[in-house]
Amino acid sequence: MMRARYPSALKWGAVLLAVHLLVAVLGPFLAPWAQDQMMAGLPIQGASLTHPFGTDQMGRDIFSRTLAGGWIVITLSVGGTLVGVIAGAAIGLFSGTVGGWIDEVLMRLTEAFLAIPFLIFALLIVSLAGPGVQGSPVLLILVVGAGYLPRVARMARAAALDVVSRDFVLAARLRGENAWTIARGEVLPNATGVLLVEFAVRAGYAPIVIGTLGFLGFGLKPPTPEWGLMMSEYRNLLTVQPMAVFGPGLMLATLVIGLNLFTEGLSAMARHGRAERAA
Amino acid sequence: MSFLRLALSRIVASVFTLFLVSLIVFGTAQGLPGDAATRILGREAPPAAKERLRLELGLDMPVVTRYAQWVTAAVQGDLGMSFATRKPVSDYLGPRLRNTLALSLLAFLFYLPLSILPATLQARKPDRPLDRLITVITVVLLSSPEFLSATLFLFAFAVHWRFFPPMVQLHDVMSWGEYLHALTLPAATLGLLLATYGVRMLRESLVDITRSDFVLMAEFKGLSRARVLWRHVLPNALIPWMNATALNVAFLIGGVVVVEKVFAFPGFGSALVDALQFRDLPVITAGVMIAAAIFIFVNLLADIGALIANPRLRTQG
Repeated sequence: MMRARYPSALKWGAVLLAVHLLVAVLGPFLAPWAQDQMMAGLPIQGASLTHPFGTDQMGRDIFSRTLAGGWIVITLSVGGTLVGVIAGAAIGLFSGTVGGWIDEVLMRLTEAFLAIPFLIFALLIVSLAGPGVQGSPVLLILVVGAGYLPRVARMARAAALDVVSRDFVLAARLRGENAWTIARGEVLPNATGVLLVEFAVRAGYAPIVIGTLGFLGFGLKPPTPEWGLMMSEYRNLLTVQPMAVFGPGLMLATLVIGLNLFTEGLSAMARHGRAERAA
Repeated sequence: MSFLRLALSRIVASVFTLFLVSLIVFGTAQGLPGDAATRILGREAPPAAKERLRLELGLDMPVVTRYAQWVTAAVQGDLGMSFATRKPVSDYLGPRLRNTLALSLLAFLFYLPLSILPATLQARKPDRPLDRLITVITVVLLSSPEFLSATLFLFAFAVHWRFFPPMVQLHDVMSWGEYLHALTLPAATLGLLLATYGVRMLRESLVDITRSDFVLMAEFKGLSRARVLWRHVLPNALIPWMNATALNVAFLIGGVVVVEKVFAFPGFGSALVDALQFRDLPVITAGVMIAAAIFIFVNLLADIGALIANPRLRTQG
């Protein structure tokens, strides 16, 4: 038996992700202070042993707040990506299977959506959703999902086109099944690989979208300890207490680096596996 | 198909996409179900104010009529009146757009060497320490949110070392030198962020091309490594790189929003964010349309550029 060799990207990605998941689950319990406790220390203190990232204007411990932010960012990212991949896959697979003018219309529409830069599209939805729902986590999940929908749909459609000319799809058509049933029963099982990769790639960018929205004031609202929001809240502490800004920023960056390395490692392994089978 | 017909069909497709975008943007901005006035002003707003806004939006007319009016005016350069500034949208967005254009051009000047030099260094000796190091740096930069890297540069070069002002202020009576100095830090940030994509893309195609037959041939002829790289490899890698650069414009527009916010730069991106914050519908509609139009136009240019540079594309499809 040959020992399985894993790409180093996969290993490092897995380590970073494991640390982040641990922090997300255990962080709130291990944190030295409650994340919302005011006057945990004197207001606006620099980094010290008791307050590794210092304290903010209200005397809250910034390190504890940062630890509490992990599960928020991860849940929203995974939730939003799931919504986008499921909805995008449904539309893309259907479009590719049904073909004809419906396919044409759907693909022109996705093209138009893709012409609006993701961030601007997200800002547009949040802004127009109105002040009543702004800052709600559900809205954020829907925004991320809506942004990913056309992108995933195009990949899913391409995957569907690879399969639709095959015999088993033809057989299903001859049985008189409609496009939706064929897309679900015949095409989807053959597109799971593509969709999983899509999920991983998109999940890697979702924390950035959520953080950027928070940073620009279009994401979650204070006092939620979301990292992007914290960075904008503590921007004016930059000269006194840089860790207040760069602590949460570092967490966000390492989470995304972990996700990207993990995905890159997985796809490298998949390529390698294919090459070995082909040989 | 002839080059002209292909180019023409791309142009028609682009115009059609822009038309669809206008439907989407106008539809979401002004045609959503529910009362737009309440969404803009909030539930607690006095009914009189809501009524005034409804009239101003023309909400008493059907959506289709409003869309037709908006398009006819927009094609003639009339983008409506901004709610917040009480000025024509074009008077407000025009100067902001000019600032952003200057910023983007300067960023592009940073982008060129920042993407070509590292990628060539990598491709000279693939899989050696220098290649690995640059890969790690690009992965880290690519994974960092733009607002983090931008804040980091701001901290380093405007707060820690005071080379540049932390807030960009532009006046009418600035000399060229002052203008450039104010633009340098945000432009360098933008150029570097953009370059992280360019470097990865260019490195891959450079390494691919280094392994192709005609490069081996050039080496067998006894040409120097540098000459092979600059004369034979690089020109061939530039076409896909150009296409990738065009696609990155989508990122550039998003990145501009963030970078402008971080440096308080009075440009198009920050104007759009402000409008979105205050739900200034005419500015939002115009701004998003402009962003989409720029994206579509640049991609059209890249498509046509590829058609000119690579005649083989003209025979397929």
